[in-house]
Amino acid sequence: MFDKPDERHLGFVSQYRRVAKEMESGTVRTSDGFENAREPADGGRVLTIRDLSVEIRRGDRVVHPVSGVNLALDRGQTLGIVGETGSGKSMTGLAIMGMLPAGGRVTGGSIDFRGTELAGLPAARYRAIRGNDIAMVFQDSMTALNPTRRIGEQVAEPVRLHHRASKRAARTRAAELLALVGIPRPAERMDDYPHQLSGGMRQRVMIAMALVCEPQVVIADEPTTALDVSIQAEILDLLDELRSRLGMSMILVTHDMGVIARHADQVAVMYAGRVAETGPTPALFGHTRHRYTHALLASIPSLTHDRREKLFSIPGAPPDLAVPHAGCPFAPRCAAATDLCREGRPTLSEEEGGHTHACWHPVSGPTVRAHQTPATAPPPTASPVLLPERQTTPRLRVVDLRREYPVGGRGLLGGRRTVKAVSGVSFEVAAGETFGLVGESGCGKSSLGRMLVALDRPTSGEVIFDGAPVTRMSSRELGPRRAQMQMMFQDSNASLDPRMRIGAILREPMAIQGIGRRAERTARARELLRDVGLPLSVLERYPHELSGGQRQRVGLARALALDPKVLVADEPVSALDVSIRSQVLNLMQRVQRERELSSVVISHDLAVVRYLADRVGVMYLGKLVETGTTEEVYGATAHPYTAGLLAAVPEADPGAPLPRAGTRVRGELPSPIDPPSGCRFRTRCALATEVCAAAEPALTTVAGTHQVACHHPLRSGAGQPVELTAR
Amino acid sequence: MTWYVVRRLAISFLVLLGISAVVFFLLHLVSDNPGRVVLGQRASPEAVTDFNREHGFDRPVVMQYVSYLGQLVQGDLGRSYKLNENVGALLRQNAGRSAMLSLAGLILSLLIAVPLGILQAVRRNSLIDRGATAASYVLYATPSFLLGLILIAVFSQSLPFFPAEASQSRSPWVVLTDPGAMALPVITLAVTSVAVFSQYQRSSALDQLGQDYIRVARAKGLPERLVLTRHLLRNACLPLITLVGTLIPTLLAGNLIVESLFNYPGLGLLFLNSLQREDYPVLLAYTLIGGVLTVAGNFVADIAVAAADRRIELEK
Repeated sequence: MFDKPDERHLGFVSQYRRVAKEMESGTVRTSDGFENAREPADGGRVLTIRDLSVEIRRGDRVVHPVSGVNLALDRGQTLGIVGETGSGKSMTGLAIMGMLPAGGRVTGGSIDFRGTELAGLPAARYRAIRGNDIAMVFQDSMTALNPTRRIGEQVAEPVRLHHRASKRAARTRAAELLALVGIPRPAERMDDYPHQLSGGMRQRVMIAMALVCEPQVVIADEPTTALDVSIQAEILDLLDELRSRLGMSMILVTHDMGVIARHADQVAVMYAGRVAETGPTPALFGHTRHRYTHALLASIPSLTHDRREKLFSIPGAPPDLAVPHAGCPFAPRCAAATDLCREGRPTLSEEEGGHTHACWHPVSGPTVRAHQTPATAPPPTASPVLLPERQTTPRLRVVDLRREYPVGGRGLLGGRRTVKAVSGVSFEVAAGETFGLVGESGCGKSSLGRMLVALDRPTSGEVIFDGAPVTRMSSRELGPRRAQMQMMFQDSNASLDPRMRIGAILREPMAIQGIGRRAERTARARELLRDVGLPLSVLERYPHELSGGQRQRVGLARALALDPKVLVADEPVSALDVSIRSQVLNLMQRVQRERELSSVVISHDLAVVRYLADRVGVMYLGKLVETGTTEEVYGATAHPYTAGLLAAVPEADPGAPLPRAGTRVRGELPSPIDPPSGCRFRTRCALATEVCAAAEPALTTVAGTHQVACHHPLRSGAGQPVELTAR
Repeated sequence: MTWYVVRRLAISFLVLLGISAVVFFLLHLVSDNPGRVVLGQRASPEAVTDFNREHGFDRPVVMQYVSYLGQLVQGDLGRSYKLNENVGALLRQNAGRSAMLSLAGLILSLLIAVPLGILQAVRRNSLIDRGATAASYVLYATPSFLLGLILIAVFSQSLPFFPAEASQSRSPWVVLTDPGAMALPVITLAVTSVAVFSQYQRSSALDQLGQDYIRVARAKGLPERLVLTRHLLRNACLPLITLVGTLIPTLLAGNLIVESLFNYPGLGLLFLNSLQREDYPVLLAYTLIGGVLTVAGNFVADIAVAAADRRIELEK
């Protein structure tokens, strides 16, 4: 998708930069336009942060999101700052930009940008640097671009401001930048409004906006968190490429260890406002020293993790940064903590090749990825959940399910136009089995999930639960049945009534179904809380008093309150931090096994589905393109789309082999209003031929229960791999 | 877009037809004997009956309504019982003056409320913000006749800055030609709206300030003034555009009080006088005009928001 920027662009970029900046500073540049003069004394160091502390005052409450942080950024390098919510990683980025939120200020330390002290810099001088020398790329959200201004204007704005460029020159420059970041036909898209672009395209515009003045440092704060994996990979590669071409330095702020492993040269792991460990990426991942980093890496479900083993999980939750604490901030959650850790704050260790850590009891030796399946061992063939002989009739059967939503306006011949959210999906879930539905946003997996628990009616097709067609029942017949089919939602904040106590939330399903008396319901609620590992005191509390992980446990407890036979979990852990995520995942796996639940886990996260599911279905644009046991789909991938998704997932291991070129999914998701003819994936497939446009591939068996809907599957009928070459 | 406009116009027409019918029949219930009203208490019953027959008031109500509609289609709003003048001409004489007064009040209030609301949002919870919010609540709760009286007492009686009576000139441009005489009516009108608009603007600006594009604008190095004018302003005004559109007829009703208080010869004063004189054709026409303005106000607001915010696609 990303067209290589041709040299003409770079020529102009350099020229432009030379003219504009020479006028400002009078420095001498070499003929290639890159500055050689004013080389900082300490080699290529661009940014040095020493002992940085930040506080945020909100009324009487004072939070210390950043305490004594030391970081260094060299020219042309990427520094990855990784940490969970509240670790201070974003606040560090904002402190560098001089854009701390209201009530926030730098209380100590220094931020040295090429000899200029940024801490305490007057506002006007800061503004001249911001967007010009140091720029920021924010997380894509619908609101990151001004909705009422054309994108061309928005990209041109910094050039107009910092280089006093004319309107026309700035517009030309904006068009070039849009071309550089891979926007097709930039001259035409200039006059588009943000809502006319897809999420991936908006993020490219954000990047163009940040790079338009050719900054020396780009701070990318979770630049791809809101994007799908295939788009994420493209955006990160684009950032990498532009960084090296334009000779910039980058600070990549993220919660994703995988992204860091693949895209950062140096890594700083932050916890509770402090740097726990920092060093070159290979050293940090290969010889992890700090107990927190170690535990964090162990709690990430990966695509190579042995599914028979429980995920490691860090107990507890990060500390409250408004309360002063002595000792190591991680001590309360650390298995290796001693009195020393609880009393004395660990200091930064001696350097070993730039690798330092702040831990009293560091892990020694090279990092052993304990949970990883050895490469030589055969993939486990048996399902990890031992099923007590499969029932002859599946518990849940989905037959050719379709759902179309009408959209505004009528088509050419007066027919109502529809979004084809789900277009003929069939699968079965046996008792005690977990079926994973995986796919990118817009593939119809959530629409499907809602129909499974009868929250929505299909346009056609059936959902058959224990032999009874749920989709044809009247609401009255459905009422008591609903107890058997429950749902766990992604956003536990929005799915729990903010004005109900947890006790009431857990009792409500029983009250609606008329089960037991109040005392019995309360007893049951206590039991449920124990089951999901929450203290009984939670009963009397409101949702906002709980942490995200606790709320998600309540969400699970509520779904289990009626002892359902089917549980549909829609993105159950997407909103949670890594260390909390593994707690919830382990809990879900335990519950599934103990209760013999038939569950359907819906997620965009391939590793999460792999960890929880016995069988997997991969969805693309409303259709199931591949299905089989987890081992079959992940180990012997047959559909190019599945292969592309897997290739796009960054592994938290810098040594992991890079995916082969050509396996990645490129481009944008076609419109579900007019899906492509034949195979819906053909527009983004490297293997597509004429037959793919002409005929729609049906699901055909590859081996065992493994089925794929593809004219050119990566596995032949005998399950043998087919060499991947463009036809 | 064109289809949308056509469809909305058709619906508006039906709405107005409904309004005219309801008002016509209601007024007929109140006064089924126009001859008595026109000729007065001393007229003989025979004269009243003659008058009613002559003007068709003895026919069934439905017939009267149909012929009224027929007149309406020809642009004839009827004839005033008391002023013996064509109602259309009466309205035309006064409409311009009322519109100018409303418009002046609206513009003044927007000029104050929009920056004030944004200032309050930017300096949230500061002394300015709290003070302005408190003042807004007090002013909003104050009836406009009381406010007008206070203004007269202070700025006309105690401190003789402005006259207590509005200009009596027949020209609609008095706001411009005689600003001194129009100051108090315009201020009275504006103050009440400022209270509503600024609170509205404040909450909308607060919403927008929390959006990421504001952070992005700051990250570009824009000075705060440009962040506010270039990026915040338009987005923060979108809800206000809708509100102002729907408020246009309310402004007209507000004139009722302000116009009578300052004895300003506009539509409101005409309506009040006609009410006292039981001059039903005028009341009927005034109510119809109010309906037209309400429908038109909503319509214009929808179009204006769609023009300012390209995300909104008007349904075909």
